[in-house]
Amino acid sequence: MSGLSHFLILASDGMKANRLFWLLIAGFALFPIFTHFADLPFWNDVAMRIMLLGMAAMGLNLVLGYGGMVSFGHAAFIGIGAYCVGIGEFYGLTNGWAHILLGIIVCGLMGLVIGYLALRTSGIYFIMITLAFAQMLFFLFVSLEQFGGDDGMSIDRAEFGFIDLYNPLRLYFLIWVILALVGLGLMFIVHSRFGVTLRAIKSNESRIEAMGLEPLQFKITGYVVSAVICGLAGVLFANWQEYVSPDIMHWTRSGELMIIIILGGLGTLAGPLLGAIVFLLLEESLPIMLGTVAPAYAENWMIIFGPLLIMVVMFGRGGLVGLLAAQRQSKNNPKRDKAGQ
Amino acid sequence: MTFTLILEQTFNGLQAGVTLFLVAAGLTLILGIMDFVFLAHGSQVMIGAYAAAAITLATGNFYLGVLLAIPVTFASGYLLEYLIIRHLYRRDHMEQVLATFGLILFFNEAIRVSFGPAALFSDLPPSLSGFVEILPATPYPAYRLGVIVVGLLCAVGIHLLVSRTRIGAMVRAGANNPEMTAALGINIKILFRFIFATGACLAGVAGMMLGPLTAVQPGMGEPLLILSLVVIIIGGIGSVRGAFVAAIIVGLVDTLGRVFLPAILRLFVEQATADGAGPALASMLVYILMAVVLIFRPTGLFPAKG
Repeated sequence: MSGLSHFLILASDGMKANRLFWLLIAGFALFPIFTHFADLPFWNDVAMRIMLLGMAAMGLNLVLGYGGMVSFGHAAFIGIGAYCVGIGEFYGLTNGWAHILLGIIVCGLMGLVIGYLALRTSGIYFIMITLAFAQMLFFLFVSLEQFGGDDGMSIDRAEFGFIDLYNPLRLYFLIWVILALVGLGLMFIVHSRFGVTLRAIKSNESRIEAMGLEPLQFKITGYVVSAVICGLAGVLFANWQEYVSPDIMHWTRSGELMIIIILGGLGTLAGPLLGAIVFLLLEESLPIMLGTVAPAYAENWMIIFGPLLIMVVMFGRGGLVGLLAAQRQSKNNPKRDKAGQ
Repeated sequence: MTFTLILEQTFNGLQAGVTLFLVAAGLTLILGIMDFVFLAHGSQVMIGAYAAAAITLATGNFYLGVLLAIPVTFASGYLLEYLIIRHLYRRDHMEQVLATFGLILFFNEAIRVSFGPAALFSDLPPSLSGFVEILPATPYPAYRLGVIVVGLLCAVGIHLLVSRTRIGAMVRAGANNPEMTAALGINIKILFRFIFATGACLAGVAGMMLGPLTAVQPGMGEPLLILSLVVIIIGGIGSVRGAFVAAIIVGLVDTLGRVFLPAILRLFVEQATADGAGPALASMLVYILMAVVLIFRPTGLFPAKG
């Protein structure tokens, strides 16, 4: 009984500390009501994509933001998760819960192998090795002709027992529930002994070693957990897209995940989700904005987005979460802020 | 017959290897000396290929196209370093990844806007489109042979530059210990810019030579970038010699693996399995090689720092 109350106290404390994240989650729960009355069903689709990319970015954030490991290959785990659905169905496995279980196991194992090999190195080597392993898996799926090769394979939405994903909004809320659970899980992980150690390794690895702990074990564990979260996002992604091809694990997607985290705020719970919102809204609105100025070039919005990204890196620090926090602080403490300058 | 095939594919592997080396040579120095994650190196390949193809199409002369494209790529590398890259040396790796990722998006889109999304094709001059007999009754395309020769000449040139000249001594000193090199009074900023522009130029040359062999299109440098990262990991970051050895190994393993691995597998397992697994395994071969090198020598075959 005391275990439960302890859990509830921890959860409510965590919710207070991560108010922004839970506000966003609540917003996503209410969003379909808005799209229903505003008659904008297309935006449910955008919201699902935001939640999926946000979930994957939250997974990556565990190693990137909290652990300081710059993995440039996490799209591979999204791909593996998605192919667990595709290949599972190919062999007659149509149960969605089984896909999720399979995705968790396979991504966990792949994360263990890649993490074990890549974490022997650090710095630039680590970035390039994670990228190279992701490319290896990309080319593996390109060359697997029996699973569609380059063209990919189409997928029927999986059977989740009593939840029929072909009913409108069922998939939306399945994604929503899993996103909230992942957020809850990450909240506990980050504040657990393991999470604190992981963050301590980021700031000073040799000190952790001096304390008699083995940093590599913590780093590999973190890597596996983040791979599993990306895999979960991949399983759901395949169901949302009703299609899977190697494109889902293209290396530019690993870059996108990083952009999302940086935009939102590194090493925060709300950051990746906020970043995903901004990223996908930019992706939707830049072509429209460009189209009104120069209609012929509407689809070349990347020509604006690329330099925008460089500007964010050059001038923006701490992402949107940092920006919001700074603003709140200066509102609460206008004097101290002025004195600080 | 099989001997001819092996010889021909070995030459193809060599050609892929020297092209890879041209891309990796500059990149390994950028990564090693400047400790800078530069992902837009593939864009330099694309810029070189487009510059050469556009000038060739405009003037009708392939040699003129290549000759004029070389200063273009050098200038693009120089400008890029001056305008953007030099402000990012002190940033952490992830920010460098993002900024150079933004550069890739920009360059790909800029090329798409100015040249259209379709691939450019430029014909070879008659003097290069024939065949050369490398052995009696074994013809080999003259152009590919030319690529190998140019690549090897570049490799010798880079080797002489790095090992015999004053600039080369600065580069080696910079690779070993940048702070100490700067403390000895060497203008490391200018050195960085020179290395960067030269690296861009070499990548551009690789692009120019690849142009007539593959399609000149937006994003064409990216597969080459990833493979050259594998080369750099195997060879050791910052080591030009390592980049050369690893590039040749990777070029040969990749080319020969794709051709012969399915046939070799067929000797051991039944045909259907071999035909399925062969291409899959072949496409993973260089990455498996990289993993094996990492297990036994985590800093590559020829570590530059020490």
